[in-house]
Amino acid sequence: MSDPVIRVSHLKKSFGQQEVLHDIDFSIQKGEVVSIIGSSGSGKSTLLRCINLLEIPDSGSITFHGKEILSRDMNKQDYRSKVGMVFQNFNLFANKNVLDNCVLGQRKVLKRSKEEAVDIAKKHLERVGLSDFLNKPSTKLSGGQKQRVAIARALSMDPEVLLFDEPTSALDPEMVGEVLEVIKDLAKTGLTMIVVTHEMQFAKDVSDRVIFMDQGVIAEEGTPDEVFNHPKNARTRQFLSRFMNRDEESAEAEADEEKTAVAE
Amino acid sequence: MSIDWSYAWQALLKNWPMFWHGVKITIAFAVVGTVFGFLIGLVIGAIRAVPIDPLDSPAMKALKKVGRALTGLYIWVFRGTPMMIQACFIYYLLRPVLNWSPITAGFIIISINTGAYMAEILRSGIQSVDPGQVEACKAVGMTNFQAMVSVVFPQAIKNTFPAIGNQLVVNLKDSCMMNAISVTELFFQASSIAGSNMRFKEIYLDTAVIYLILTTLATWILNLIEHRMNRDHTESSAKPAGKKKKIFMEMSS
Repeated sequence: MSDPVIRVSHLKKSFGQQEVLHDIDFSIQKGEVVSIIGSSGSGKSTLLRCINLLEIPDSGSITFHGKEILSRDMNKQDYRSKVGMVFQNFNLFANKNVLDNCVLGQRKVLKRSKEEAVDIAKKHLERVGLSDFLNKPSTKLSGGQKQRVAIARALSMDPEVLLFDEPTSALDPEMVGEVLEVIKDLAKTGLTMIVVTHEMQFAKDVSDRVIFMDQGVIAEEGTPDEVFNHPKNARTRQFLSRFMNRDEESAEAEADEEKTAVAE
Repeated sequence: MSIDWSYAWQALLKNWPMFWHGVKITIAFAVVGTVFGFLIGLVIGAIRAVPIDPLDSPAMKALKKVGRALTGLYIWVFRGTPMMIQACFIYYLLRPVLNWSPITAGFIIISINTGAYMAEILRSGIQSVDPGQVEACKAVGMTNFQAMVSVVFPQAIKNTFPAIGNQLVVNLKDSCMMNAISVTELFFQASSIAGSNMRFKEIYLDTAVIYLILTTLATWILNLIEHRMNRDHTESSAKPAGKKKKIFMEMSS
């Protein structure tokens, strides 16, 4: 196997007394799409935020193309510009319109000319289907549109790796699809991606590898088929069955609602 | 307790050139104090709002701590003492060295004083901006400074604009304390007129009315700006050519 793009080893992180990440080891190859699943509080998001240095690990190492990024000599800004991030709450720049959200980083960090930055931003906004919203204030968009702008903003930096932190968890149910479609398209282009998600079907469809995290450790790791259809770990089975039940329950609830609606 | 209304009116007209001189100085003090105070407040507020990052070098951590201590001291002293005392003390303290005129000293002192208040207003404004905004800046590789200037400051200023604008109104009134170092602002002029005519009630009534007009105008202009800031944000940027006309229409309506 070739050298991994990112390798995390012996990563530990605590918030106060609580240890959130306990000795995490994992790596990702170029072009790979890795999904991280697990219940809330299992440390998935913290792991992702550590990779982008939004949280500083207590110990362990993270390397990017073999270079340690936790050392003080490492240029944090340069590294972060190569590792894009899409947040659960979008975090679009509230004082900028859609186009400027995608232009700002290119101008400030990559020092691109205005024309070039605008061209690239427009290209990515078109890709996520938002060409008609260029001058719209970012605060006036729907959740699904915001998240698609956030994806275009990350893509505009030409990242080598893209991190998704529960990209659909803050969305209304009817908007989840449009965002997942965009991410699925990206996965096909060969972009290296790490996706923290609660969308099991999506994780199954899109990933090359699935990581199940539980109580700060990687409890299971493998292909989607291995993890979803033949889980070895009892906790994975428990987690997945809870998820499947929940899906069924919500389907039943919806069916009930329809019945009452018809009755009325 | 009677007021000679017609004398008050006559005195206003007769002494208008002196009043007008005072009005101009007072406005100059309010504007200069607010603008420079705002700039000082932005820098000090940012120093106080910047978090200490675990990845900072020990030297940077120490620098940030010293910065916080010094700015804290500045705010403590300048908000905790009357501006009139600050004016007298600093003016006479530095006069032998700088050989400065009261008006220069006054401009600097009102700016420093306003800066202390602005720093606290802007610090709270900066801290009111969603931390996700800075994280998003960092995630695309921007430095803390770039994040502040491009994303945090514009939002912090917008959120705290009413409090920032209020400092202009405060400064219109508080610039009268500069009479203590004989700056010829409105109150100083009024005292001179009152003294030379030996008519106090009517002259100070005139002065109060002039202050009231100034503060009302300032409040009105600030409301207009606030209204436009909010509207510019909700609508996409209007055509620049149409803007002047719109202001005019709002003012006349």
